[in-house]
Amino acid sequence: MFSFTKEQKIYDISGVSIGGQPGMYPTVLFGGLFFKGEPDFEDAKRHVQTIYERSKQTGVPVIPDFFIRKVEYIQPILSFIEKVVPKKHPFSIDIIEPSIKIQTLEQLASRKLLPRTIYNSIHIGMTKEENEALRTYTPEAAIIVAFNPKDKSPDGKIEVLENGAHLLETGLLELAHQIGIEKTLIDTAALAPGENSGAAIAALPVIKEEYGLPTGCAIHNVVEKSRWLNDFPFAKKTVDVASNNAIPLFGGDYAIFGPMENAELVVPLIAWQDILVSEYTENYFGISPVASHPRRKLLK
Amino acid sequence: MTDDYYPWGGEFTACAPHGCVAVVLLNIQYTPPENVAIYGSLKTENIGIEKIIANTISNPWIRFLVICGDDIRGHYSGSSLIALYKNGIDHNHRIIHAPGAIPYIENLKENAIKRFQAQMTVIDFIGEKEKEKIDEIITDCIRKSPPSFGEPYIAIRLKPQATINLTDNRALHSRILIDYLGKIKKRGA
Repeated sequence: MFSFTKEQKIYDISGVSIGGQPGMYPTVLFGGLFFKGEPDFEDAKRHVQTIYERSKQTGVPVIPDFFIRKVEYIQPILSFIEKVVPKKHPFSIDIIEPSIKIQTLEQLASRKLLPRTIYNSIHIGMTKEENEALRTYTPEAAIIVAFNPKDKSPDGKIEVLENGAHLLETGLLELAHQIGIEKTLIDTAALAPGENSGAAIAALPVIKEEYGLPTGCAIHNVVEKSRWLNDFPFAKKTVDVASNNAIPLFGGDYAIFGPMENAELVVPLIAWQDILVSEYTENYFGISPVASHPRRKLLK
Repeated sequence: MTDDYYPWGGEFTACAPHGCVAVVLLNIQYTPPENVAIYGSLKTENIGIEKIIANTISNPWIRFLVICGDDIRGHYSGSSLIALYKNGIDHNHRIIHAPGAIPYIENLKENAIKRFQAQMTVIDFIGEKEKEKIDEIITDCIRKSPPSFGEPYIAIRLKPQATINLTDNRALHSRILIDYLGKIKKRGA
């Protein structure tokens, strides 16, 4: 449990606060939908309702993350967001294909959803067309993935943020700034076991101290890629959920925890961890938790 | 020859040590015949491709690389692997004309890529998911019974130069210092 000397930025993204010194604001959780197959909107609606209920009970803020795999899913998923995500609440869109990213940005603009959008994500593979689209249709915030194929250590992650690691003309932070995105969340790029998977966690305090920006990652991806865990099916789920604990413990601000159906387990787990962090950081560093913090909400 | 022979690890199954075919699976549930040398799935257009190159050139008996199944959306890992085979990498280590999002080869020397290009014949079966057709092309390759390419090429994983010399063992990282309470500050600040 840490405190940083660098001033920590706190962003308000459509009503959700993220960042700051550990223990002040609760860890923000991104729960994903529509990773596989045809989108099942009935099932998704149930998961969205559950995650908001658990958030309300615990004080842990949640943001739905929408994975859009195909062009034909853009319209129905955006309509789902308009109908099911509470008005003014933020959400993120998680898209790999640049052409789908661009079309989704256009649609988000025409539906006036950009002020609630977290763009997931900007990385070294950004195309010229995507860059131009982002300048025209600028989302409220963006996740910047600090993946450096050359160097997977915390230094490599900083290099890609700072100067593009010679793969880009400019660093990813400057790139986001040039586009006009002011609220940037750093993702420390969790990689498979054997690819310095621990660096994603070690980089959290390093990047927080270096830039003071909200920082997190999708550490559960490491669990998904730990094939040996397939021999322990009962433990695998527990490990997947528990992996998220490492993020607040190492000073991180948010966790992208994978399928939203795991919210029942992940939200209370993170509330517990946030309480633990807050008790220490208030005692030693004088960091008071905000009124909505799980420690205030759950410990009477 | 066991799994250990393939030095870079990954999601693969090693079969016949002197088999001449390696099979790359893209989004496909398919088990090749047991007389192939190795088969496994490919997901990413950078680290995944690096592993395939390093592992296949370590076995000189492998002379054919069959890539089958549907390419990975966004990553286009299969097409990027074919682009690497055809075009190599540019001065920024980017695979020339690769359609993938982040097609960079950063952990292999150029000699390893040249060796891959020389040792392999890559069979582009992207889009093919029919078991019979894939089996057939594998059988065709095996029938050709090409000789071994010679000595194994053991690719050394390039690592960034270590510049860290920590004397403070409480530190998590060379850039930061942590006092006994947990206060973090930038080293040297």
